Amino acid sequence: MRRRAFIQGMAAAGGLAFLPSLRAATSVDELPPLEGDLTLYLGRGEGGLYENVLKAIETRNPKLKLGVRRGPTAALANAIVAEGKAGVQRADVFWAVDSGAVGLISDAGIARPLPSDVAAQLQLAFRYDNWTPVTGRIRTLPYHTGRLSAEQIPEDIMAFPDSGLTLGWSPAYASFQSFITAMRLLEGDAATKDWLQRVKRSGKSYAGELGVVMAVERGEVDVGFANHYYTLRLKAGKPDANVALAYTRNDAGCLVNASAAVAVSDKPLATNFIRYLLTEQVQSYLAREAYEIPLVEGVAPPGALPRMSAINPPEIDLTALADLRPTLDLMRDADVL
Amino acid sequence: MIRISPTYPLAAVIAVCALLPLVVLGILAEAPDGLLQARNLRLLGNTLLLAGLTACGSIAIGVPFALLTAYVSLPLQRLWLVLLAAPLALPSYIGAFAFFAAFGPSGEFAVTLGVTIPSVEGMAGAALVMTLYTYPFVMLTTRAALLSLDASQVHAARILGLSLSASLWQVVLPRALRGIGAGALLAALYALSDFGTPAIMGVDTFTRMIYVEYNAFSLGRAAVLSLQLLVIVGLVLFLESQLSSTSERPGRALALYPTSAQTLSAAAVALPIILLALALPIGIFTLWLWREGSAGFELSYVWNSAYAALLAGGFAAILAIPMALAAMAGPAGRFMERLTYFGFGVPGIVMGTALVYVGLQLPSLYQTLMLLVAAYVMRFLPLAVGSLRATAEGIDESLVKAARVLGATPREAFMRVTLPLTRRGLIAGAALVFLESMRELPATLLLAPTGFETLATYLWRVYEAGYFGRAAVPGLLLVLISAFGLMLILSGEQQGDTAHREEECN
Repeated sequence: MRRRAFIQGMAAAGGLAFLPSLRAATSVDELPPLEGDLTLYLGRGEGGLYENVLKAIETRNPKLKLGVRRGPTAALANAIVAEGKAGVQRADVFWAVDSGAVGLISDAGIARPLPSDVAAQLQLAFRYDNWTPVTGRIRTLPYHTGRLSAEQIPEDIMAFPDSGLTLGWSPAYASFQSFITAMRLLEGDAATKDWLQRVKRSGKSYAGELGVVMAVERGEVDVGFANHYYTLRLKAGKPDANVALAYTRNDAGCLVNASAAVAVSDKPLATNFIRYLLTEQVQSYLAREAYEIPLVEGVAPPGALPRMSAINPPEIDLTALADLRPTLDLMRDADVL
Repeated sequence: MIRISPTYPLAAVIAVCALLPLVVLGILAEAPDGLLQARNLRLLGNTLLLAGLTACGSIAIGVPFALLTAYVSLPLQRLWLVLLAAPLALPSYIGAFAFFAAFGPSGEFAVTLGVTIPSVEGMAGAALVMTLYTYPFVMLTTRAALLSLDASQVHAARILGLSLSASLWQVVLPRALRGIGAGALLAALYALSDFGTPAIMGVDTFTRMIYVEYNAFSLGRAAVLSLQLLVIVGLVLFLESQLSSTSERPGRALALYPTSAQTLSAAAVALPIILLALALPIGIFTLWLWREGSAGFELSYVWNSAYAALLAGGFAAILAIPMALAAMAGPAGRFMERLTYFGFGVPGIVMGTALVYVGLQLPSLYQTLMLLVAAYVMRFLPLAVGSLRATAEGIDESLVKAARVLGATPREAFMRVTLPLTRRGLIAGAALVFLESMRELPATLLLAPTGFETLATYLWRVYEAGYFGRAAVPGLLLVLISAFGLMLILSGEQQGDTAHREEECN
């Protein structure tokens, strides 16, 4: 429910983006300089754009010694949990492309509580005690416009395996796995496993969701499963691309998820680093360049955002997506990992 | 009295360390949840199929080229050999990356030339790439076997009326079977343990699934898969050791003099192979470099790669000395040397999984450079030992004896006579370890310290992110490094050849 309120709120904000917002987001100028050693685990997946944010933060804070460990989000989340169990703490901050992975860490009791002023910067529906969403993303169905029209795309995610369409997916990608977690919670394990096995039959697997969208665009598959921004980025670079976005209704197929950050050590530096991710500059950069949805109050969403009023996301709390392990087990059993 | 070589204790310690991954995996392995699950059987099937196809493919390409380079007198003979052996030096994941990016509806050929060539992917793609980069194993082992065969039997066969091709088939190849078999098994071993190629081509083999399990941090399951893979590796190594060597009286090898038309047709057959295996990756990476420049690339990647590999080469050289000496001292030493060969058979992804677990138990080692270097040394030590042994066995024993007669202690004789004389082999061995370490991918992915990006891990990162253009610089550098490796291997072979010839003259 909270999420739908958010989306509708976003739609309104999108329409009025040119008006000055009531509450301005924090500027980097208001933040203390970052100094000392910080180890960031970066769940890669967004290519160069998160790297650019890190570079900008480093340039601004010459005394910050940032060590970055990159890996798939799920792998790093699991590594942090294993490190916690073994009593080996290496990461200070974990920036994940998906809230489920961060929830996993929070559930393991490794996440450190964040000061209340951090959560207060976020929109109401996105305030948590010991981790923070950074930017939002919506699960979408990019389809080949030359071959299909929007009406031909099922509105029920569970109907895809029988739709006769060829499907593209990237099962190893964390956002996809969270989408499967949502499906598990909404439809049950048996139906989800069955869905996975049937999609596998008509599906083609890609290394990442950018790959999925590109495959849809060149007509290799009819429809893909991907986060919204890959399509928007592709279209930004190639306006006549043969791809458009479709959405399902009230199911995991249009899950709204968020990239997220969590402090794993007690260093004040870790918290301050997270504050940088929530600044006006970083949020609007990610909105402008990466087409992600800023979650801090007072930052305008990307202009090319899909028709928000038409979206009906399922009612799932982001923290519920932390239930990642059963999802991985299920995917393994269904032979799709 | 039984004399125990002073090198034994040290060699024993090193040999025990080489077995460490096996012990760790044994501890780590969860009770297999259904060893014969359909899924495991499919993995087994895929892995064996890939290894089998690679072995067959490399025989099909490697044996004709071995005949060509061994027996046929070609213009620019040396160049033929270098070019045909070159794919061996290239890590196959470079090739897989280039093939993946070049072909298919959105590949570089379709984009730049407008010609759509079917994608190279899946089992067929993996087998093709693997074959292109492993056939030199078969070519080189077969060639060595062919060169040791006396031509008089072929001459006899020809005089008795057998055609040339029939006599090659019936008289020559059966005697080179051992060489062919050894090369094919090496190719199969490579296919079993390679991680990058099946991963890029999208084939579920043991190595890829170990990576998937590792990413889910199910180390227990990764360990089970690793042990299963090691059983297959062990089987291949066992088969290889069973290939008995046949010895024939040495004689002059067959020499064939082709017409220029025949030379041209040989070149026409060899050219596509060279184009696919060498020109394609170099061309693709150069195209990307020209199109996108060196964006995103940092020199520190080269330095990190070189630094870790340099440490690995240095340590391997130091550890190789007692091991090689022990191996020459007696059967117990030879057994210990055999144990270190185990590490060479352990796939990088398996070594990585085992050492991540070791690191979690010993936090002072976790995510340290030392652990990464230890993985390199354990995997590649046999290269250094082999190189050192080859040189050390060539030393005239009487030199050491002379030193001893003149009053030198065994230690002094070793330091002042043996060591300087084996320096060449030692350096060559260290260089081989250095080059292998620079190109190593899976263990580096798992074990590299935080922020320690190497050429190989950077290449993998841009592949996963889909920013292929950024692979240009690391890709070309890895090709360049591989070229150095090839020069080193071939110069070693040439030395062997010259030594052989000198012996013949004497």
